[in-house]
Amino acid sequence: MIARALLFVWIACAITAGFLWAPLVPVLGETTRVFYFHFPAALVTCLALGWSMVHSVLYLRSRDLVHDDHAAAAAELGLLFCVAATVSGSMWAKAMWGAYWNWDPRETSIFFLMLIYGAYLALRASIEDPVRRARLAAIYSSIAFVAVPFLVFVVPRIYFSLHPDPLINARGKPDMDWRIMVSAGAMLVGFTALFFWMLTLRVRVGRLARRLEDEAA
Amino acid sequence: MSVAAAPLAVCALSLEARSLAHRYGSRRALERIDFTLEGNGVTAVTGPNGSGKSTLLRIIAGLLRPSEGEARLAVHGRTLCAGERRLGVGLAAPEMAFYEELSVEENLRFAAEARALSGAAARVATALQRVGLTARADDRVAALSSGMQQRLRVAFAILHAPPLLLLDEPGGHLDDEGRAAIERVIAEHAQSGHVLLATNDEREWRLAGRRIPLRGRGLGDPS
Amino acid sequence: MPGDASRSAAAVWAILRKECRSEWRTRWGLNAALLFSVTTLTAVSFAVGRMPDRSDVLSALLWIVLLFASLASLAHAFVREVEGHTLSVLRLVASPTEIALGKLLFNLVFLLVLEIVTVPLFLTLMGAPPPRWGAFTSVLLLGTVGLAAAGTLIGALIAQTRSRGALFAAVSLPLLLPVLAAAVSGTRAQWAGGAIDAQVRMLASYALGVIAVSLMLYDHLWEE
Repeated sequence: MIARALLFVWIACAITAGFLWAPLVPVLGETTRVFYFHFPAALVTCLALGWSMVHSVLYLRSRDLVHDDHAAAAAELGLLFCVAATVSGSMWAKAMWGAYWNWDPRETSIFFLMLIYGAYLALRASIEDPVRRARLAAIYSSIAFVAVPFLVFVVPRIYFSLHPDPLINARGKPDMDWRIMVSAGAMLVGFTALFFWMLTLRVRVGRLARRLEDEAA
Repeated sequence: MSVAAAPLAVCALSLEARSLAHRYGSRRALERIDFTLEGNGVTAVTGPNGSGKSTLLRIIAGLLRPSEGEARLAVHGRTLCAGERRLGVGLAAPEMAFYEELSVEENLRFAAEARALSGAAARVATALQRVGLTARADDRVAALSSGMQQRLRVAFAILHAPPLLLLDEPGGHLDDEGRAAIERVIAEHAQSGHVLLATNDEREWRLAGRRIPLRGRGLGDPS
Repeated sequence: MPGDASRSAAAVWAILRKECRSEWRTRWGLNAALLFSVTTLTAVSFAVGRMPDRSDVLSALLWIVLLFASLASLAHAFVREVEGHTLSVLRLVASPTEIALGKLLFNLVFLLVLEIVTVPLFLTLMGAPPPRWGAFTSVLLLGTVGLAAAGTLIGALIAQTRSRGALFAAVSLPLLLPVLAAAVSGTRAQWAGGAIDAQVRMLASYALGVIAVSLMLYDHLWEE
């Protein structure tokens, strides 16, 4: 309870800091604010995907359904953060590039991630038996693991990106005001904590549902 | 990996089920069971519909991973790992179907070649002759009656001379002549290996030297 | 006794021959896929007309036709086993890896046969023979291997779901997109006279990666 209240206050403070305390980047103007949502959401999207895939492999090795709960919950939450990152990025693209969607390499890769999340969840939804569902979803997740680096890193290399480098510029030095970095870092911590809090809730619900079924059987 | 081709006469076989149980989702398909089979002979698994006879045979054949416990199969004192299991057992079960667009002979030929058996043609001919299906060897499976298909299943199960023969409802759909042929197959195999029958038919479990009754609730409890 | 490797090779070879024989006897899988791709091709060609000088459009159209033909046919190899209840027999005679490799080879042969008909037809209708056949064929072949490798594994998963074929396109698309992107880009570069090394490397490494990971996963494909 206290932890949840703390998390709420933390994110509220980070948002306030981003809007009132941190300065604006010259060219970007007011659209700088999008960064405080977009950047942590995009990173948590990748974190969730990684979490889901690691637990899929762990499931295939241990056959413990708790790993499947982790994989499924991380994928569901990952899709949520993925949509948040895409929508916020798309609004920013409209303001800066003039269109909501341009098939910029970054847009392309997050679109791919959304497709993988969607396909994973669609596959899960079409299998009734929990053990079979866990096994097949874990196989899919493992094979998608091969596709992700190609989709996110290799394919975009073929094209040219307009996306700003997040924190480090070409000279390898931070190019941002420290107040922007502090606010964004605080939001990242907040979003990550939010993700893990929701994840543990989903995993607990999964475990309880299974125990309920066991007792009914 | 000489399991399939080992001469049957010296096959020392042991099958051990340790706290074996299975469930599909929340539905119990097989109540926990422990038993050991050793040496040659015939054993029958009996129990009401839904008590898990077919499930037990599929687990032993290595087609199904049990939710709890394990079924260990050892030949000549060596335990077969999961990948070798299909070489040490022959399964004939009612839910098994064959490729309808291929002939009876082609189906068995395919099975023999995929198992890398030597002398595939001779083995196929012998198996067909033992179940009395030689005359229909060139017919497409689609044209077989259900009794003929049951004979084909048994021919498929004995094709590679497995140490352990698993027959699920072996007499299903069969006429008297077919039953006699299957009984001969069972009797011959019991000389050199073990036969595990899943059946509620008294004519069949009378052939067995031992019965393993399954305690499952069957249809008695809808949950 | 033959060793494990030659044993597995025999099983894979037996499965490939069985698949080809079954397909030849029934032919509805190949007929449907051929009709499908020829129809798509005709529709595309009719809609855009001849455009020999638009390499970007040409390469995209070619690979969209091939992608859709794969989406329509690759799940078939496993769905047929499940619907005919023959999977138990297959699993009793061969290991999961042998089954999957046999099916992979069959899917590869299937796609190649499809391409032998579709690709020349496409090139003729569009009036655009490739300037460098070697480059064109290598991209085509590597792309085909990538499509077959990803499609075979997903097909084996999809055959065990309730919806079977219906879900195949949605679930396999993310895994086929890297192939599509690199193959389109390679085919376009080949028409435009540019280098195709990067695309060939990417197609090859993706196909290898998928096959390597699949080999580790095949063992888990069937357990019930």
